[in-house]
Order: sequence, then C-alpha cells, then structure tokens
Amino acid sequence: MKVLLSWIRDFVDVPGTPEEIGERMSLRGLALEGIEHHDNDAVLDFDVTANRPDCLSMMGVAREIATAYSLPLRAEPGAGSAKAEPYISEMLGPITLPITIEDPELCRRYVAAVADVTPGPSPDWMQARLIACGERPISNVVDITNYVLLELGHPMHAFDLARLRGPAIVVRRARPGEMLTTLDGKRRTLDPDILVIADAERASAIGGVMGGADSEVSNDTRQIVFESAWFKPQSVRGTSKRLGLRTEASYRFERGADLTAAGRAMARALSLLEATGAGCRRGPVIDCYPAPYEERHLVMNPASIQRLLGMPVPDPDTERILSSLGFGVRELGGWQASMPEASTPAGQSGHGWHLQVPAWRVDVVRPVDVIEEVGRHYGFEHLPRTFPGIEEPPPPSDPRIARDVRARTGLLAMGFSEAITFGFIETAAAAPFVGDSAPVALANPLSEKFTTLRPSLLPGLVDAVGINRRRGRRDVRLFEIGTRFSPLGETRGAAAAWTGLASPEHWSGGQRDVDFFDIKGVAEQLCALMGVAPQFASTSTSFLVEGRAAELRVGDQRIGVIGQLDSAIAEHRDLPGDDPVYILEINLDLVSALAPPGTRFAKPLPRHPSVVRDVSILIDDSLSAETVRGTIRAASAETLVGVREFDRYQGKGIPEGKVSLSLRLTFQAPDRTLTDIEVQTAMNAIVGALAQQLRAVQR
Amino acid sequence: MSVPIDPSLGHDRALALFREELAAICTDAELQALRNRWVGRKGSWVAAFMDLVGRATPDEKRQIGRQANELKRAVETALAEREAVLAVSRRPAGAVDITLPGRAPLLGHRHPLSLVRDQVQEIFTRLGYQILEGPEVEDDYHNFEALNMPLEHPARDMQDTLYLASPRAPSGAHSAEVVARGQRPIAPQPLTLLRTHTSAMQIRHMEQHEPPVRLLVIGPVYRRDNLDLTHTPMFHQVEGLVVGSSITLADLKGTLISMATALFGEGQDVRFRPSFFPYTEPSAEVDIRCIRCAGSGCAICKRTGWLEILGSGMVHPAVFEYVGYDPDHVTGFAFGMGIERVAMLKWDVDDIRLFYEDDVRFLEQFGL
Repeated sequence: MKVLLSWIRDFVDVPGTPEEIGERMSLRGLALEGIEHHDNDAVLDFDVTANRPDCLSMMGVAREIATAYSLPLRAEPGAGSAKAEPYISEMLGPITLPITIEDPELCRRYVAAVADVTPGPSPDWMQARLIACGERPISNVVDITNYVLLELGHPMHAFDLARLRGPAIVVRRARPGEMLTTLDGKRRTLDPDILVIADAERASAIGGVMGGADSEVSNDTRQIVFESAWFKPQSVRGTSKRLGLRTEASYRFERGADLTAAGRAMARALSLLEATGAGCRRGPVIDCYPAPYEERHLVMNPASIQRLLGMPVPDPDTERILSSLGFGVRELGGWQASMPEASTPAGQSGHGWHLQVPAWRVDVVRPVDVIEEVGRHYGFEHLPRTFPGIEEPPPPSDPRIARDVRARTGLLAMGFSEAITFGFIETAAAAPFVGDSAPVALANPLSEKFTTLRPSLLPGLVDAVGINRRRGRRDVRLFEIGTRFSPLGETRGAAAAWTGLASPEHWSGGQRDVDFFDIKGVAEQLCALMGVAPQFASTSTSFLVEGRAAELRVGDQRIGVIGQLDSAIAEHRDLPGDDPVYILEINLDLVSALAPPGTRFAKPLPRHPSVVRDVSILIDDSLSAETVRGTIRAASAETLVGVREFDRYQGKGIPEGKVSLSLRLTFQAPDRTLTDIEVQTAMNAIVGALAQQLRAVQR
Repeated sequence: MSVPIDPSLGHDRALALFREELAAICTDAELQALRNRWVGRKGSWVAAFMDLVGRATPDEKRQIGRQANELKRAVETALAEREAVLAVSRRPAGAVDITLPGRAPLLGHRHPLSLVRDQVQEIFTRLGYQILEGPEVEDDYHNFEALNMPLEHPARDMQDTLYLASPRAPSGAHSAEVVARGQRPIAPQPLTLLRTHTSAMQIRHMEQHEPPVRLLVIGPVYRRDNLDLTHTPMFHQVEGLVVGSSITLADLKGTLISMATALFGEGQDVRFRPSFFPYTEPSAEVDIRCIRCAGSGCAICKRTGWLEILGSGMVHPAVFEYVGYDPDHVTGFAFGMGIERVAMLKWDVDDIRLFYEDDVRFLEQFGL
C-alpha cells in the first residue's frame, strides 16, 4: 500500500523523516517495502498483511501511525455530516430511483446518491495525490471515487444515470449466461454465483469487482449515481478468482470492508464533488441497510496479556493503545474479567476490560487478537529474550535422519558430491524409470519441465551430470538422497552417478575411465555401511545397458539397481553417448527395514594364525565368479574363511573361450593353528571339486 | 659466451667476470667446470695470474702477486659457499621430488543447503528439540484447513499450490484418533497436494501426540512459482513448534534471535517485528541487518536496510482446536524459515537456481 506522507498528515501530525516513520511502523506491524522521495513529500510503500483491509487506506495507516506515536487522529473533512443526514430507502421527488437488494447476504448495504455533474478533469492537487499513490487520473467523477477509496479504504462506483434502464438499481445474482462488458472492455459470461448490480433489465456492474462499460461515466454524462456498498468477502473473492479479475475494489472487499463505512464514504464523495466543483447532489442519500451492523464485544484481562506475551504491559498503555486504535474500552471489576477465554490458570485476581471492537477491524474476533494489538503497539522490542522450559525430554528424532547422514557420509568419502534436484521432472525424463507403476502427475504444473513427481532420483542426477558435462567438466561424481514418489506413496532413496575418470588425474599415470566394477564397489560399500549384504543378480531394465546392469537383492526384496546408463537415454538428456555413465540407486527405507536390528557386539580377534593358499584355474569363460566361489565353498571344510579373486586373464596363452582365474583362499580355525596337512587336504578337495564339477584345469 | 682468460684485464674485472659466471651455475657439474676454469692447476684464470707474477718485474711482482692471491681466495670462498647451497638442494639417493602434487583420494563435497540444514539441526538439538520429517505429498486439511486457512481464505494466495492429478487417500492415522478425542470429524480430502510449507507436519504431530511438544521439521516444500533469481518451485523449509503450559512470545523471541546469531554471527543485528500468518496470533517476522549494505540501503534490501529471514508466532487458538488441544491450558509458538534464503545470505549467493544446478564448481566451494 503506497501512502503519501502529506496525505497522512491530513489526519495525524506525525513528526520525523519518511525513513524514521518507516522504521518505526515496521516495528509496529506495517513493514516498509520502499520509499519514493518527492519534492517535500514522500511515498511510503507498506506491506499490508492480508488480515488488515482497514490499513488499505490513508486513514487506516494514519490511525496506526497515531497509535504508534501516541498522537491524536483527525477525522476526514466532512465526517459527521453523514450521521446527520436522514437516510431514506427510496428517492422521491424529481427523480425516482428504486433500489432493491435481492440477496442481502451477499450485499448487506447499498448506499446511493444521485448528482448532477459537469464532466472534466479533476483538480491538480487531487490528480497529484492519485498519481503519487499509483492511480491514473481519469475524470473528476471517477477520480473522486478513487480518492475516497485511497483515503478511507472504501471502494465506490459511479454509474451514468441515463444509461440505467428504469431507472432502477437491483442487486441480484447474475442470470445463467448473462453477458456484461466490463470497464476493461472484456465481454464476460456471468453465472448465478456472481453478484451483479443491474438496472431494471440487465447487469450493469459486477458487485464489488468492476463496473460495466455501458453505464460508464463519460464526457456526455449529466447525472450520476454514486454507489457505496458492502459485499460479502467470500463472494467477491470467488467472483474475482473465477473471472481472473482483480481490482482495487475486489482486493478490499474480499479481505473485508467496514459495513459502517459505506455512509461515511458517500458523505466524503459528495463533499468532494461539491468542493471541486464537479457537481452537486440531487435529492437525498438512499441507504438500503436491511440488517444493520451489530457491535462486537470482547473481554480481556492483563493476566492473559502476560500469559501469552511473556511480558507485563502497564494498564495505562493497554488502554491508550486500544482506545487509539478505535476500541471502546471500559474497565471491569475482578469477577467480570474472568470470562472463559480471558482466564488464566494462574491468578484470577485483578481487573479487566470490556472492549467494543471497531467495525473496521474485521480481523479481531478473539481476545488473542486484541493481545496482539497491545503487544505490537507496546513494542516487541520490549519483550525479554527467554527460552521455553523443558517439561519433559522430547522423544527421539526421526531415525531416517541419522540413517541418511550415514549414507551421505559414505558417499562423500567415496568421492561423490552431494546434489539436490527438483522433486518433479519432465514426463519424458521420468518414463524410463517409472517401472510397472503409474507415474504421479501434477494437475497444475507450471511448465512442461515439472509435470511428474520423480519416480527415481536418477533422472534428476543424470541431468545434473549433463549440466556439468556441457560446462566442460568430464569427471563427475554426484549423489542425492531424497524422496521418490509412486502411487503407493513416498520412499527415500540414495542414488549416485559417475562418469569420466575412475580416479583423479595424476602425473604418475594409471588413469582409466569408470567401469561397472567401480559402481559395484560403491554399492557394496554403501550397503555394508547400511547393514545389508545384497546379492547381485543380472537384470534387464529400460534405462541400463543390457549385460551391464544388476539388481541388488536381499532375500526376495529388490533393494536397488546398478549399471551403465542406456546410451540412448544419455544422448536424449544431452550427454555424450560415448562416455559411459554408471549409476546406482538404493531404497533406503527398504534397506533400514531389512538391516538386522539391535547391537552388534565386537568379535574377538582370532588367536591363531591364518594360512593363505593361491590357486589358478583354467575354466570356461561363461562360468561366473559366483559359481566358482560357490563350488569352492561347498567343497571346503569350515576352516575356509575367505575366498577372493585376485587375477582374471584372457588372451595370449589362454585358449579361446577359456579364462584363467586366480583365487586366494584363506584358512583359519578359531581353536588351533592349522597344520600343513590339514590345509593341503582342504586344497585337494577344492581342486578336485573344481575339476570335477567345473572341468577346471589347475595351472 | 665466457670471456677468454686474459689476466691483463686486472684483478677487479676478473672478479666481476667470475661473479657473473657463478650466478648462472645451477648444478654440481657446472660448478666443477667453473672451479677448473678459475682455480685449476693449469689453464685457469688464477694460474694465468700466477704466470704473470712469474714474468713480472720485481717492482710489480709484489702487487700482482697480492692481487693474484686475493683473486684466488675470493673465488674459492665464493665457490665453497655456492657448493654448500647446492648441497642443501641436492636430493639423497632414492629420494622423490616432494614438490610434485600428491595423489589425493577424491572426497565429495557437501551441498550448501545440506550444510545449513545441519547447522540449524545442530542449534535446535542443543536446545532440546526433536527433529522430524514429514510427508511431502499432503492433503488440503493438514496443509491449509487445520492451519486456520479454510478454502476461501485470502491467505491461501500467499502460497500458490501444486495439486496432484489423482487425489490420494489421506495418509496417517489422524482422523480416527482426533475423532476419538471428541474433536470435529474430518471431511474426506478431495485435494491432494505437494505441501506448501512444513507447517503441515505440525498438525500431523499434534494430532497424534499430547503436549508438551518441542520439535523441528526440515524438508522440501513446493509452490507454483516460476524459476527466477529468488524463486524455485521447490525449496527447503525448517519449521519449529513448541507447545506447553507456559510458552510465551518472549520465549519465541529469545529462541529465534539466538538462532539468527548462531547462523549469521554474534555481531549480527536482528529485529523481531509484528506480522501476520493465519495460523499464528500474534505473528512475528525476524529481520537481519542487510548483509550487503549493513543497513545503509541497497537493492537487495529494497533500501530498507533489513532482510526478512523467517516468519513465526504464537500458535493460533483455532489451530489448537483443530488438533484437539485446549487453548485455555496450553500455549505454543511456531516458526518457519527458508533454508535457501539463509544459504543465499550466508554465502552471498545472488541466484537461487545455483542450488539446483549442482554444478560441481559451485559445490566444491563448500566443505565436507
């Protein structure tokens, strides 16, 4: 809300520079958004919060300033004269203008007056004020409605009387399919959820939102009808949203206008009309006010203020602040103050206040709303800095947090940097990763890039790798820990992507690009860290290269997947297809469910030495290492504690279709030192089994 | 390159020539060659001077002899010094060039948002808070309605919402429990959305737990915002909630100011000022002095000298009523802060999109 300082000073003699006023008011609930300096004047732009429609005016802001500075507030010129005016509900005499409110719930009050006008520009001072506050001057009549809106916060409208058929004014719901061309020139189709101001035949304005082009005041207008009404916030808001039409009027009505202000606004408009020579009222002011405003009352005591704020506010300050804001304040005796909501567990003694809530304070409903008023004008700067006491120790934190930290630490230590990508991605990017379930689509995505909730962390990571590649970085290792979405719900995953060199470039050489076994090693380490030892089984998925893809299984559960990213997907995501990208993703929620619970006790160190034997065999290269390992394990006594492949060779000296595999076997017994003969017997059994079952030839 | 041996140039000139040649010496071999050329038994400069002494007249002999000896001494001293210097830089057998770069194991780098998150978590763990996470897909009830924002509430405009194409049954066992406690029944939720703030988790927690409550929720939230310098459609929030028999606004102020100082440094000027949120009353925002201009006014702070970092307030009685707490017996405070905003201010990052590009050159600037 832009307010002109000189206009504010019509109502309150506030001292100080615009900066000082802005700073002080920021601490009182009107946050300063900016200052524009003019000659000897300034426009202060305040951020008026959604609960304070009363501050969308000079008068409202002036009232806040008067309270903040403990200064008196002057009424607008002509105020008070409105009250003396005897309102009647229908105009008699030279002009007959019957007014009917068909829906008194949506329009609780309709004040109208007819005036003879001489169209022309409004006076310079008025134009200058409107321009300063961001309004465009249009004509003397229209400018008066805008001036009153800015000054008092109450929206008004002017119709060209000659254009109203009847003439009559009917406040009613629009008929199905009824058409109206609004002031912005748009032809709109209305429906019965929309309240209109109609003449005897058809709609001429959308109530509380915008007037109609047909009844617009023009240079030929000789007589106008001023409207000052009250429309129901929810109705105006609904209409404004549905029509996509937000105006200064709808902005105020949808937040809640002051029902009692309609008459004051009319009086001010009529007095401005005469003062500026734009015209003069003809006949009385009509006030259709079927159900007058009912005063709202609250009871509050000082103890409730202290209970919520944590600081005492002296009674005279409370009374001064509330009176200045327009509350009717009446002191109550001890027992009267202890109404239910005002009571405090500690001490009912003392007095309290009976408060009459000002009509413009639509936000004040409960005693707590009044406590806020007292607190903010007494000043949050007076609040002590205290800390909440602990009544009982809080329960433990979400176990996912510590678990995710563990996964993160492992991945960081393995050289992966932490990425964060968006939770929604393009439908096309998600498609290969969705699997059997349906993707989770957004109903109102902002752009095509954010249409689907990610089924996997991998598409986002692949795109992040792509960004790095396009910016000239070939070696990229990234991981992300985050939420994946499916129709069944949310799961937390950890994913990693690796492209480029397997180890950082070094002058000593020995560089090679990342391969399958690098990412498998990461998966093995990560799983070990998370407490599971998965089996790796070959798999076939649309996003991984056939033959370089494995799924991680614990029991019959699939906990994750590793492999080389399909080159078509890589190219589609703008990654060079010839540099492989290796990826991994595991389901952390599943891993935590499968990891054995409880404390793991430390194992004692072995007391007896181990014996190591190497064996090299020639086998069919179609046999997997796992088969070989399995055969060895099945053939050995329990003294075999370790089997590890340490060399695998194909090429010169090895027949086609064969592979030379070297394994290191470790034997150990917990209760004795193994003898040579024991170990040799075990080795013979192993070599025998390999020869017999796998037709392995020892080299 | 070197001047031919010529003792007639005299002692001073000869010494000057020697110093020039010495300056160019880098290796032991060069030093040995220089030694031979100047003080060798035969064919050296000093030897030539000595020959001159032999051929000189008795009168000259004394002077030339002294100059020849002085030259010899000066050259030998300088050579010895240089030899000592070279010896120091000489590598022992089997030594490596320790100035070559090491083979550094690759360490990953932390994401700045994750660092801020941890820092906030650490601050509140110290203050005895329980740290929680909640669902990112929410229903309208928990995200808006129970936070005192019914369907037509204007405050909903503050948070433009992303909805799911197919609604989902509300998750969690909230309804039965709250109904069992005699509170208002919850209507079935037709709207499934991405949570617009972590405040939704407040409701879920209070529905299932009796006071006291002392928790912190951290996680991603979503709004229908276009990508620009200061907006992303997903960002991260941290949310605090404390409910007990005597929680006050002063407690909130103390807590938030101490958090702001912990995040931005001891000397940081902080202010606590009134604001509005539908789910708190009174409401307050915390500002810090503009990091860029220190309060003198700049584009970052819109010339106000202050930067808002979070919203907060005393839990609105209506919210307590929604979750079945008695506002006559408990009070509470809540606050919510954007992690991105803190990270931007802390590290002077002027484009929020950098956090979501994951350019390794950006990430590498942050530690482990």
